[in-house]
Parts: sequence; C-alpha cells; structure tokens
Amino acid sequence: MDIKDIKSLIKMVTETDINEFELEGPEEKIRIKRGVVPEFVQYQAPQQQMIAVPQAVPTHLVPHPVGSTASEAPAAAPVAAEKGEQITSPIVGTFYRAPAPDAPPYVEVGQTVEKGQVFCIVEAMKLMNEIEAEYRCKIVKICKENAQPVEFGEPLFIVEPL
Amino acid sequence: MRDSFTHTSGTGGKNLDQRILELFHAKKGGVVSGEEFSRVLEVSRTAVWKHIKSLKDLGYQIVAVPSQGYRLVTSPDILIPAEIAAGLTVTRIGRRIICFRETDSTNEVAFRLAEEGVEEGTVVIAEKQRRGKGRLGRRWESPAGVNLYCSVVLRPPILPMQAAQLTFLSTVAVARAVAETAALRPFIKWPNDVLINGMKVAGLLNEMSAETEKVNFVVLGIGVNINMQRTQFPDDLRHPATSLALEAGKDVSRLYFTRNLLKTLDELYDSYLARGYAPVREEWLARCDICGRKVKVSFQESGITGVAVGIDDYGALLLQLPDGRVEKVLAGDVTIL
Repeated sequence: MDIKDIKSLIKMVTETDINEFELEGPEEKIRIKRGVVPEFVQYQAPQQQMIAVPQAVPTHLVPHPVGSTASEAPAAAPVAAEKGEQITSPIVGTFYRAPAPDAPPYVEVGQTVEKGQVFCIVEAMKLMNEIEAEYRCKIVKICKENAQPVEFGEPLFIVEPL
Repeated sequence: MRDSFTHTSGTGGKNLDQRILELFHAKKGGVVSGEEFSRVLEVSRTAVWKHIKSLKDLGYQIVAVPSQGYRLVTSPDILIPAEIAAGLTVTRIGRRIICFRETDSTNEVAFRLAEEGVEEGTVVIAEKQRRGKGRLGRRWESPAGVNLYCSVVLRPPILPMQAAQLTFLSTVAVARAVAETAALRPFIKWPNDVLINGMKVAGLLNEMSAETEKVNFVVLGIGVNINMQRTQFPDDLRHPATSLALEAGKDVSRLYFTRNLLKTLDELYDSYLARGYAPVREEWLARCDICGRKVKVSFQESGITGVAVGIDDYGALLLQLPDGRVEKVLAGDVTIL
C-alpha cells in the first residue's frame, strides 16, 4: 500500500463516524484512530517505515525514520509530538512492547501511565529489563517497533509528564 | 491458590528446626534425649516435641526410642533453609533463604521482595512453581520435588549496561555446580544455555530493575532439571532437554546441588565485585565449546555464518565473518556447524 492509498483511506475514514479503523494484511497493518487528543496514523511495513499524522486529518503526512532506515515518504513539517520527555534505553538490547508475543502491549499511544507502571522490556543477553515510568505521564509516541534492536540512550517513547 | 510457605532463615541465628537437625546429624544416627535437646536448645521438651512433629510432617523419619529419646532414621531430599544453610558459609548469597512448598514463580516473589527492599543475597526457592517463568512469556516446566527453582536478589553497584555480565556469571555457576555435583561434563551455549550431550539441563532468566545510570536490583532466576524423569517433560519442548539424573544414571541430591550452587554463586559474585568481569568471562570461555568453531547465528528471518572467536566485555558474541571482519552478535540462536 502506498502513500496515496493511505491518504484516500484516511479521507474515507474521516468522512464517516468511525473512530478507529484497523486493516491487517500479511505484510502490513494499518490503524487509524480519531479523537479529541492528537492521535496518530501508523503505517508499518517490513521496511520499518512509519508515518505519523497529527489528528486523523490528512493535512500533511510526516515521515519519521525508525532505526537507521529512513522513510521514503515525502519530507514535511517535523513531528509535532517531539516536544515532550524522551524515555531512553538504559542498555543495548532488543525492545519488546509486550511481556509475551501473544500478549497485549504494555502501553499504547494516548494512554496515561502511572508512576512505576511498565512501558516495555529491553532484553540484553537474556537479562530482561522492565522499563518503568518514573513519573505519571501520557504516551505521545512509541519510537520503536516491537522486537527491534535498540542502542544505549536511544529514545523508546516520547511522553508528556502529567 | 495461596502460596504454601515452608520456612525462612534469617541472618541472625538459626531456627529451631535447623538446630534440632544439627544435633541429630552430630549423633550420626544415634539417639538424642529430650533432656539434651531442651538443655542445648534452651527450650521446653514440649517445644522440642512440636518441632520434631513438624519435621516428621516434612518427611523426616524420626522414631521415639522409649525412655531414651529420638533417633533420626532417614532425611528426605527436601529444600528447606534448615538443611540448605547447614554447613554453608557464604558472604552474601544464601545468607537469607526463603523456601516455598509451592508458589507461582520464584522470580516474581524475589522481584517483589527486592522492590520491598529485601537484603542483597536473599534466595527464594520453591519445591513447585505453578507458573514457572521462561523468556517472553514462555513456561518453565516446574513439577514438585524433583528439580531446583530458585531466584537470587542482587544489588550490584554497576551500570545497567554492565548487568548482562551477570547472565554469564549465573551460567558459569550452574555449569560449575553441575560438573562438581553430578560428575558430568556440561557445555555452555552462548549466551546462557547449559547443555549436557547437547540437551538443555537448566534455564536461566534474569530480570532487572534499573534507572538510567543505576541498577536498583537484579533477580537471577535459575531452574535446573535435577531428578526429573523422561515422562515429566512436556511434549512441546522447543529444545531437547534432559536432567542430571537422566544423564548421570542415578538420582542427584537436590540439597547437595543447591548448597554447591549457592556457594559457587557467592564465590563468583564476590570475585565479580572485587575483580570485575574478567574471571567470569575466562571461565565462561573455558566451559563453552564454540570458540574457534564455525557457527551459524539465526535470527527471526535471517542468519549469518562465521567462526566464533570469543565474547566482548558486555557478553556480545564475536563472530569472524568469511571476509575477515569481526561482527558483534547481541541476540540470536547459535548452532555449531
């Protein structure tokens, strides 16, 4: 699915009363969420591309590089959500969004996280490191895909302290 | 289901069960009189009788010899602090031992205790785990009374990025304990599998609580298949597995193994704090059979082939590729070609 298709999909969804729309194929998954608070549209392909759209209004599509693979989507304004606190990885390892492959993720974008609540796991050499919230906050952005390698100090989440 | 709690040992003094057992062991099968118990232990004869009864409930065969006292006939191979701590001299690991007859997961209990501030070196052991934890939500088969399921709380003054070194420390400790107690020759597979004849005999799962530049605590989770029988293994194992008893051809004392493992862990950790990672790494390399061999590392969808040349300071596998470059491998499944 290319950018054009996504654009028209978003347009289609925004013209209806649908609040959340999800489409999953063998190679990609598309999820569109609408709401009062800024939400994101994520496009995940095997090339690890991600496109974030503030609100479910297709005013502009914003490319966001994930890992070392830059998105091929057209350049546009910087991600509005970049303001906020970064939660970075304390170790080099593998990022996991859920405690098990078939379990729901620890956190989702837009969710409020209490102090002490777990954001994710970063695994290094079979040592599982649960990353916990040091303060109450809201998830603005999830910067890494599940099961991807992360570097020391690399942002995992962008949060808004509450 | 509620956890069934057996015993706990503190740092200050021994509990009465342990001292009763010590008196019995000192007599080497002889009779200990009620008068002697109450004099040495400074408790009433009724208290002695009550504790003897509770030991009998645990499986100790103790007979009353009329007008003489009590005689210990046989001891069960059970894991209780009174027995584990007997003759165990340690600096940190095992100074406090908490044993359960049954719990969900020793790692979960240890993690919770660590959050509540339990002292470094606290060991949690269970005879049975209802939901033994494996990596990424997998299960670790934990039938009652045949294996060792234990978790150790550590509070090392290191950076989070160094904590993976502890994975190598616990792997070395298990391999050494297997070699010493069962007279078997285990091999380590990178990073933390302990294999006998190519089959997995132990499962290690370490969990950490850390801040950006500080480790709050690490829980070393160690499961060792000691006397597990072939029929007790699940059918859907991901890797071939075995137990010490199956490989040695006879049962191995769980108590002896546990004591040896705690002593080994304590020694290695003491040396780690004093001299750093180098001694652990050296022993890991000596107990691992992949160095200098051609191996394949498989990832979810791909793989690379090269010659294993060692591990780096953080435990990454160093793989020399056909073009001569040395690649650092952080994750993946290693197969010897």
